[in-house]
Amino acid sequence: MANPDLFRLRVTFAKTGRCAMLSHLEIARALERAVRRAGLPYAISQGFSPHMKIAFGSALPVGVGGTEERFDVQLVRWVDPDEALTALKRASVEDLMPSACAYIGPKEPAASVAFPVADYEAVFSRPLDALALPETVTVVRKKKEKVLTVADYVVSAPAQEPLAAGEGARVVFTLRSLDTGSLRPDLVVQELLRANPGAEVQTITRTAQRAR
Amino acid sequence: MTDLWPRLERLIPRAERPARYIDHEWGATYKLEADYRYCMAYPDTYELGQANQAVRILCNVVNAQEGMAAERAFLPAAEFADTMRAEGLPAFSLESCAPLAEFDCLGITLPHELAATNVLELLDLAGIPLHAEDRADGDPLVIGGGPCAFNPEPYAPFFDVIVIGEGEDVNVELLQLHRRMRDAGASRAEIVRAIAQIPGCYAPSLYRWLPEAEAQERGSWIEPVEEGLPERFEKRLFEGFADSPTWEPCVVPFTEVVHDRLNVEILRGCTRGCRFCQAGMMYRPVRERSADNIVASVLRGLAETGYDEVSLTSLSSTDHSQIAEILRRLNEACAGKGIRISIPSQRLDSFGVEMAELVAGQKKGGLTFAPEAGTQRLRDVINKGVTEDDLFGAIDAAFAAGWRRCKLYFMIGLPTETDEDIKGIASLAQRAYDRAKKAVPPEQRGNVRMSVSCALFVPKAQTPFQWDGQITPEEALRRVDLLRRSVKYRAVDVHWHDPETSFVEAVMSRGGRECAAWVEEAWRRGARFDAWTEHFKEGAWREAADALGLDLAQVAQRTYDTGYVMPWAHVSAGVSTRWLQRERRLAQEEKTTPDCSFERCSACGVCPDLGVDIQCQEVRHG
Repeated sequence: MANPDLFRLRVTFAKTGRCAMLSHLEIARALERAVRRAGLPYAISQGFSPHMKIAFGSALPVGVGGTEERFDVQLVRWVDPDEALTALKRASVEDLMPSACAYIGPKEPAASVAFPVADYEAVFSRPLDALALPETVTVVRKKKEKVLTVADYVVSAPAQEPLAAGEGARVVFTLRSLDTGSLRPDLVVQELLRANPGAEVQTITRTAQRAR
Repeated sequence: MTDLWPRLERLIPRAERPARYIDHEWGATYKLEADYRYCMAYPDTYELGQANQAVRILCNVVNAQEGMAAERAFLPAAEFADTMRAEGLPAFSLESCAPLAEFDCLGITLPHELAATNVLELLDLAGIPLHAEDRADGDPLVIGGGPCAFNPEPYAPFFDVIVIGEGEDVNVELLQLHRRMRDAGASRAEIVRAIAQIPGCYAPSLYRWLPEAEAQERGSWIEPVEEGLPERFEKRLFEGFADSPTWEPCVVPFTEVVHDRLNVEILRGCTRGCRFCQAGMMYRPVRERSADNIVASVLRGLAETGYDEVSLTSLSSTDHSQIAEILRRLNEACAGKGIRISIPSQRLDSFGVEMAELVAGQKKGGLTFAPEAGTQRLRDVINKGVTEDDLFGAIDAAFAAGWRRCKLYFMIGLPTETDEDIKGIASLAQRAYDRAKKAVPPEQRGNVRMSVSCALFVPKAQTPFQWDGQITPEEALRRVDLLRRSVKYRAVDVHWHDPETSFVEAVMSRGGRECAAWVEEAWRRGARFDAWTEHFKEGAWREAADALGLDLAQVAQRTYDTGYVMPWAHVSAGVSTRWLQRERRLAQEEKTTPDCSFERCSACGVCPDLGVDIQCQEVRHG
């Protein structure tokens, strides 16, 4: 549980455009710097190496954007959330722009675990012919191979929404993460590409995150 | 200008670290309307170049000019350069993502001797002819500068102009002239000739390279191809340095870069007078910015960038006459914000108990000191001016204040070095370790670490040791081995640089114009990113030398009499040859020369020659 004397500000932001290419660590560093530039009264940890009390939502892979990403920063005094948002916007780059600020209670789960279910949208260069995913995918983690059962992670399977003629196709799907791990959205896209030779992916975006 | 982004965007997923190429960082400057476009390139990857001070300073001064825009460019990492070649994508700038070839002028900084092949890699990737003589009116003017400009000859054919010294003023003069002449429709040759008249600007194509015998007789290796050209190139200084604002806009990178913090230059120049040190000669005289200027700038810089660390940079920051006041005021202003204040290099003789408390707040990482040599005799030879007591005093203060790790820098192969000096390194490091242990509570003694890092001496142009040869790579390894055998403590570890890399450095540092062909041949044989251990191709350099029939051991290893005219005799850092000769003699006599910012003037010649003076805020006390 967070320190009840501090104010937990949850910030919603978008990771878009070129910034979709950034890694989670790079995003974290950029957001921390934006908080400092915004002049918010952030709390710092009391350890050997004092640092800002900030926690980030679940990581997005390099190349995947998000329109509803979140981080929580703890403040030592109350700041009007609208003013905090204005200050953060002024201190942010276009492609990592905050869209909302709201306080959360000391007992609320952290942004990293509060939203295990997420909707994704991938835009392809052409409509896809095959949307079925394999039963299992093999991933390499810390040099060890691991076989994931796709059904464990898929809440709703890939579905296609055609775009205007010549503009390719949008494919939406929903994934959940488990305590034991998650299935990366870019892996799902890779499987779709494998099943649809010649198609190219243009963007992958996490469009919503929720508790269930 | 052509926007390459749509093409780049498709390739980026294949890049190892996309953040190197995406631009759009906080603090990037866009002047799309400017009609004169300058690109400032660093010949290595983004994470090395983005932190570079020259890139920041020169982009800022150019962007401050009406109608002129400066953009940044870096060399893509090796794997991505290959991808770009395969896909036909040329080297691009960050802000406009435009081909480098479309700029009016391309400036490339020459930060160290191992960046030469990267200059060619960048030009080639940009589709700009490698040789100045092959460039046409439509190609950008290619200019160079930075530390390696003090011996410009190994780079001579690749640059239209090489600028000697600090670029703040001269770069703007050069670009303004270029712009006016471009607008008037002047030819490339006319433009280069006109720029050659600006003090500090050397246009190599206007000078013939002479044979050795003739050079020795003439007192210079170069001869103008026509009348009316300057024959001596004195370094330029930024005269307004001390009074200019310490804060200047900077880009805050997304990806982690070296020196990833707010870097604030608090003073320029160091006159300690270490006889091997090129920076000490290049940036004379000492010019300090004021405590008020520095403190205000740091606070503004932190607020505008969002960094959590600030480094007070210079060649010797603890020498600033107001350093204690600056650190105290900054510590007070930043208390409770989790902001670290650091100093990049600490002099042993000015690092006392007070400094130990003022630096780095609560976080105590490693501390680095550079005794450079293992015995007092050799430290006197190189004029390092620190004693064992200085080292032990600094160690006592640092370890009592909470540090647990210390790195000691030494050089191997310094002029007059004997095996006793090598054993002296081991002895000094072990005694330093004993002192460190004594300064630490008994239960923490197991955490004390001391490491010794050895670089091979590289003779540098414009220093008193420019006439001294480097030892052979084999001899270097023998001395390293002797050092390793002499260190008996397991808690003291020894690191050293690859002597083959240092050999290339020495050749590039001392070579004449003939070395340019060597660089080009080595690059054609695959040499690039030579400063990266994993990319350094010793074979490419060796084969290139064989193919050209060059005796490079001579260039690196020969020791000359001080009467010998070196290949950079036409370039001056303001320090007179007579003074360099005297310093070399004093070195051999094991006599030291005091620092003129603390004690008396040693008549190096910089102040009268360049019409400047030492600028200290208060009297310095050693």
